[in-house]
Amino acid sequence: MPELSKMRKPDVKIVILGDMNVGKTSLLHRYTERKFKDTVSTVGGAFFLKQWGPYNISIWDTAGREQFHGLGSMYCRGAAAVILTYDVTSWQSLAELEERFLSLTDTANHDCIYAVVGNKADLTEPQARLVTERDGLTEDPGVGGGELTGEPRVPSACPTPPASPVSLSRVSVNKQVSREDAAALYGRILRYKGLEESDCLPADKMCFETSAKTGYNVDALFETLFDMVLPSILRKRTEGEGSPTVDLEDCRGPGKRARACC
Amino acid sequence: MSVKAFELVPAVDREQLMGDKARISIECIECCGKHLYVGTNDCFIHHFLLEEHTTTKGTLSYSVQKLLVMYLGQKKPVEALKAASALERLIVLCDATLSMVDMVTLEAVPSGGAKVKGVAAFCVNENPVIGDPFCVEIGVISARKRAVQVYMVYEDRVQLVKEVNTPQQPCAVSLDGYFLCLALSSQYMILNYSTGAAQDLFPYDSEERKPIVKRIGREEFLLAAPGGLGMFANAEGMSQRAPVNWSESVIGAAVCFPYVVALDEGFITIHSMLDQQLKQTLSFRDGHILQDFEGKVVLASTKAVYVLVPLPLERQVQDLLAGHRVEEALTLTEGARRNIPKDRFQVLYKRILQQAGFIQFGQLQFLEAEEHFRKGQLDVRELISLYPLLLPSSSSFTRCHPPLHQFADLNHLAQGDQEKVQRCKRFLISYLGEVRSTEGANGCREDVDTALLKLYAEQDHESLLDLLASPNACLLADSAPWLEKHHKYFALGLLYHYNGQDAAAVQLWVRVVNGELQDSTRTDLYEYIVDFLSFCSNLDLVWKYADWALQRDQTIGVQIFTKRPVGKNQSKDQPCQVNPDDVVTYLGKHSQALLLYLEHLVLEKQIQREQFHTQLALLYTDRVLSALNQSPGLEAQLVVARDKLQFLLRESSLYRVHLLLGKIQPCDQLLLEQATLHGKLEEHDKALHILVYQLKNFPAAEDYCVWGSASQGPAYRQHLYHLLLGVYLDLDAPGRGAGAGGGELEVAAVDLLNRHGELFDAVRVLDLIPEGWSLELLRPFLVRALRGTMHARRTSQVSLGLARSENLQLQHDRLKQRGGPVLLSDKKGCHLCHNTFTGPDCVCLPGGRPVHTHCAAERVVRDSPAKRRLANASNHT
Repeated sequence: MPELSKMRKPDVKIVILGDMNVGKTSLLHRYTERKFKDTVSTVGGAFFLKQWGPYNISIWDTAGREQFHGLGSMYCRGAAAVILTYDVTSWQSLAELEERFLSLTDTANHDCIYAVVGNKADLTEPQARLVTERDGLTEDPGVGGGELTGEPRVPSACPTPPASPVSLSRVSVNKQVSREDAAALYGRILRYKGLEESDCLPADKMCFETSAKTGYNVDALFETLFDMVLPSILRKRTEGEGSPTVDLEDCRGPGKRARACC
Repeated sequence: MSVKAFELVPAVDREQLMGDKARISIECIECCGKHLYVGTNDCFIHHFLLEEHTTTKGTLSYSVQKLLVMYLGQKKPVEALKAASALERLIVLCDATLSMVDMVTLEAVPSGGAKVKGVAAFCVNENPVIGDPFCVEIGVISARKRAVQVYMVYEDRVQLVKEVNTPQQPCAVSLDGYFLCLALSSQYMILNYSTGAAQDLFPYDSEERKPIVKRIGREEFLLAAPGGLGMFANAEGMSQRAPVNWSESVIGAAVCFPYVVALDEGFITIHSMLDQQLKQTLSFRDGHILQDFEGKVVLASTKAVYVLVPLPLERQVQDLLAGHRVEEALTLTEGARRNIPKDRFQVLYKRILQQAGFIQFGQLQFLEAEEHFRKGQLDVRELISLYPLLLPSSSSFTRCHPPLHQFADLNHLAQGDQEKVQRCKRFLISYLGEVRSTEGANGCREDVDTALLKLYAEQDHESLLDLLASPNACLLADSAPWLEKHHKYFALGLLYHYNGQDAAAVQLWVRVVNGELQDSTRTDLYEYIVDFLSFCSNLDLVWKYADWALQRDQTIGVQIFTKRPVGKNQSKDQPCQVNPDDVVTYLGKHSQALLLYLEHLVLEKQIQREQFHTQLALLYTDRVLSALNQSPGLEAQLVVARDKLQFLLRESSLYRVHLLLGKIQPCDQLLLEQATLHGKLEEHDKALHILVYQLKNFPAAEDYCVWGSASQGPAYRQHLYHLLLGVYLDLDAPGRGAGAGGGELEVAAVDLLNRHGELFDAVRVLDLIPEGWSLELLRPFLVRALRGTMHARRTSQVSLGLARSENLQLQHDRLKQRGGPVLLSDKKGCHLCHNTFTGPDCVCLPGGRPVHTHCAAERVVRDSPAKRRLANASNHT
């Protein structure tokens, strides 16, 4: 982390939520340090400041453990975007998002953007194993990409069984969550927020499958979101201070990027 | 566990507090300036004076003087103490009652009304919105109600400002501005007592553990969160710093920037707020209280009081650097930016960056090292001085003290590993190269350039020559032996040259060319020397080495003179100009070089001097003659030599013709040249005779007519052509009649007439041509001549007509201008003086106005040309 980043004031906040062991820290780590390394279970939370053009974006990595669950809504307060992360090999991790984590986002901004991200795609998708970055290749491609590599989860007391048959994908070890499931969850999130789907960003743009291990889709995820939260920064700046000074940068931002929800 | 950031210094020991009474323990402490108040479980307040000393070893110690002990008259413990120094009051919480005592005497305040009952806990607002300096705002948690009250405390009374209800029973409070940060029984929340707006923070379990609500700065609080976390929250309920990871059983916490200090049952833990890492752990048994008072962190066990003294930042950073923990050291320094005066910070920061750079340099992490050197504005000589022998012996540099690193020199650093040494050298090359191009080398340019030169020479680097060819500050005395050692004689020559010692430079190079010294930098060193001499302004040097150069190769050596830039005026007072006469004389013994030089003078420089032209022509002639005398087989050479000679003879008119003619005439193979020379003497007859009769080269004869008249008018050309025609048709010519030549000449004459008819005077031609020629033979000529004369006649008629009409036009204009008669009578006034005319004499002004002759004369005098010229001049400027 560049030393100076600690001194700057963030303009906007992005929060990564999700059950334990889905790879939240690894995702952030892959994006910020361009490598995949063993991480320990996150305690409390951590954050990283990213310079994006003239803006500082703070990315909060939260702890997935039940123990720290209470802190989640505080992290989400004032967030401009929330990354809801699950593990593509675990149906349970997707279910947890809806059951436990969705309510934490109540404190986020009213125009908050939601992204549903299935991590560990390298375990199920052949194209996610082909890596762009060298360091990913040096590792054994067969072993799991989780922060604490556990045994493949068994779909435990799962209320609704996976809609997509596992056998469909030839390569996959045990893909339990299909893209359609994630898109359906995205739709339910919007309904939970009381938003019309037609007013919001479409599900195919906001659902990602990534691999922190190989770097697959990770940059795309973060950078898409950064671009999407820019209007939120501008709005915050103009509202925030009723200063008579004209902000010359205002005229640049809007219109350039896709509009946010509502 | 890595930094020694704090030291635990004892302040008040058990002896001073309770003597040997075993059951007494400390309940609360308050520190205000030098005053330390301790509340005990047996309802006593102890007042101490705490003096700070610095021991000879440089560490801090405290001496304590007991001032007073006051018994509050109850059986209950003193739960909390807070000093309000502006009021000189100590707020005491004892037996759920808030009361005030005098800060000095510890006597209860006389007016009994200043008491609040049923208090569970309270806090002082250190950042009150109301700026009255003589009151203190406190937040109070009621023991019985689900509410928080805000009071204003004055010297002698307490006034309730606000009471805010809470959803649950509060158990800890902290206050900043309008914001109450509360620990309720199952969650933390922020409450704005002015607007009543509430903000839930996060849940926790008060049964399980004691909550911590600690104001750490403007609108920012530190809270104990489940899972042993220290969470930061601001007044908006957001976290702007990542949490720190404490143990589960933290009792107290405080912030001493940039560290978070926490106390649990056995230890004091110190985390950095900058990277959330645990930095230090101090063992502390029976810890009970941890509080900070105006930046001073005070701890208490049940029996004794300690102060946690932060070590100076410099020392912490140096400790980190000693452990090669560069990143942490820099983070810590950066973090202190706000807390240190700017100029002091800059000095400190630079030094730490430099040290960090050297640590990374020692680890061969050159990229990072360079970055830190650059940011730390390192005196580059510090780095150079690591490399033995690189700094010039004359350099005044001494390494900075205390040293920035522990390396004696590069060999010490590399431990004899040559590969490492080489990498370090390559790094220094690139680094110095960069420093040169920036301001960084100011003041030590000589040292930098000399070091760079030495490195380049040693490493056989290609940029050595670039360095020497561009402006540099290399020290000659120091560099010369080094370059000699590495056989860089060419480079050394360049350095000599740069320092104005051209003689030494050339001498060195000549020795290399002669093979006395070995340096393969340039294989074309000889050509380089010649080129160098040709630009050299030192003529003595040029003359000195010209002989050597010419002996080696005349063709190239002569370039010393031919490539020399010639100034506009050839006067001798320009020192760098070589007098061509001197050169010509000098080159006498090198004929090849002389020829080239004369060619240069005559053909390229176009110098118009008879001497050079004649000499060149003679040299050419000699060559041709010698080529003629040689055995056949060198035809090509002869052709080239003759071409050059002919060209010169034709184009130049400065050489001495008779001299050459005398030389060439004996040789009857050079007829063309003879003809040319005759031509130069205007002896066209002779020339044309040679061309026509001896050479029978009719095209050459025609060419002769063309070039012979090139500088003259068309009449002269016509004259030449007539001469030629005459020669063709001259039946009595001495050379004519040899064989069947006659017909040939006639054909040539007809051909000449038909092709160049326009050049002849047709009438004279008709006189010349023999009677017997048919009309058909000369038809093209005659047609052209007729057409030509016809055309000329008509053209002249047209111009005559035009001239006439022009003349007519002008006459018409003249008559028109003349106008009618001038009427004059004695009633008519003069236009200038307005008097009437008395006689018939008058002058007409332009436009026909009559005036008196004397008036006109006056006017002419007045507007005299001299005057007018003056006026005009002033108009034009």
